[in-house]
Amino acid sequence: MGRIAAGIAALVVLSAGALWWVSTLEPAETLEFSNPRIRLVPGGGPMAAYFEIANHGDARVRVTGARSDAFGRVMIHRSVVEDGQARMRHQDGGVAIVPGQRVAFAPGGLHLMLMRPQKALNVGDSVEIVLELDGIVPTEWPLDFIVVPITSP
Amino acid sequence: MNRVLIFVLVVVLAGCGDRSFHGKDIAHLMPPLAFDLVDERGQAVDESIFAGRPVAIYFGFSHCPDICPMTLAKLAAAARALPEAQRERLQLAFVSVDPARDTPERLAEYTGAFSDRMIGLTGDQRQLTELTRRYRVTYGYEEPDAQGNYEVSHSSAIWVFGPELEARLMLFDNLAISEMAADLKRVLAESG
Repeated sequence: MGRIAAGIAALVVLSAGALWWVSTLEPAETLEFSNPRIRLVPGGGPMAAYFEIANHGDARVRVTGARSDAFGRVMIHRSVVEDGQARMRHQDGGVAIVPGQRVAFAPGGLHLMLMRPQKALNVGDSVEIVLELDGIVPTEWPLDFIVVPITSP
Repeated sequence: MNRVLIFVLVVVLAGCGDRSFHGKDIAHLMPPLAFDLVDERGQAVDESIFAGRPVAIYFGFSHCPDICPMTLAKLAAAARALPEAQRERLQLAFVSVDPARDTPERLAEYTGAFSDRMIGLTGDQRQLTELTRRYRVTYGYEEPDAQGNYEVSHSSAIWVFGPELEARLMLFDNLAISEMAADLKRVLAESG
C-alpha cells in the first residue's frame, strides 16, 4: 500500500516536472492574440479593429498588412494628436513586435482601418480578418473579430 | 510620446488654474459660443438652441474610424454616469467638419448611435471655419485615394459651454470616463 502511494506520488512529481520542463522549452503559441474586436459604426463608413499581439518567439515579427472579405480594404493606421489636432498616420512599414513584446492595437492609437464594409454588420457578429505577417511561418494568420457596439470604451 | 507631453502640459496647466478639473478650465480664456450651422433636419440653427443648459461639443467627422467614436463613446458614457437630474440638463453635440459626406440624415444616424441626447450639426466651409477659428482650432482635408476616400484632421478636444453659452472647459480624449464625468458634474453643479 505504502509502495503504491509512493509510486503514485513519484509519478505525479515526475509528470509535473516534465510539464514544467516542456512549458519552459516551448510556449504554447509563438504569437498570442487577445481581445480582437471591431467597433461598429453605422452608415457604411470606415470602422476600426483592435486587438493585442504578444510575441513569445525568439524572432522579430512584423504585421505588414491585413485583409478581409467583409471589407473593401484594410489598412494599418495610427491615430495621433499633435497640438490638439487629431489625424491619422498610415503605417507604411507595418508594425514590428520584438521577442517578449506585447503591442496593443487600441482606441486612440494603432488600429486596423476597415474601409468599405461589404455588408451590414451587427453587434455580436464574428468577422474574419487575415493578418499578413513577416518573420514567421505561416505568413497569414486568420483571426476572428467580434463586432462590439459603437459605445464600447 | 506627444500625447504624453500634451497630457503633462494639461496637468500642469490645470494645476496652475484650478486643481479640481481634469480637463482645462477655459472660463474667460475663450469667447462665448456663437455659430450659424445646419442641424440633423437640415434646418439653419444658431447658438441659441443651446441656451439655458450646458452643452459639450466635439468637432470631428463620421468617416473617422478610431478617435472620433472613441471620444464620443467616452463622452456619452460620462454623461450616462451623471446623476439623473444633471444628465437631463446636459446637451451633447457633434459638429462635423466634413459636410460633403456628413449629410443631415447621416449625422442623425451617427449621433443617435451614441446617445439620444446627442445632436449633429454641420455647415458650409465659411460657417465651419468661422466657428473653429473662434476656438483657435483648425481642420483640414488630406488628398483623396483612388476611391475618393480622404482623411480629415480636426480638434481632439471636447468643448464645454455653460447655460449662458460661456466657455467653461476643454476635455481631452485621453481622460478617463470617470474624470470627464467628474468635470461635467462640477460644471453642471455650478450652473445649477
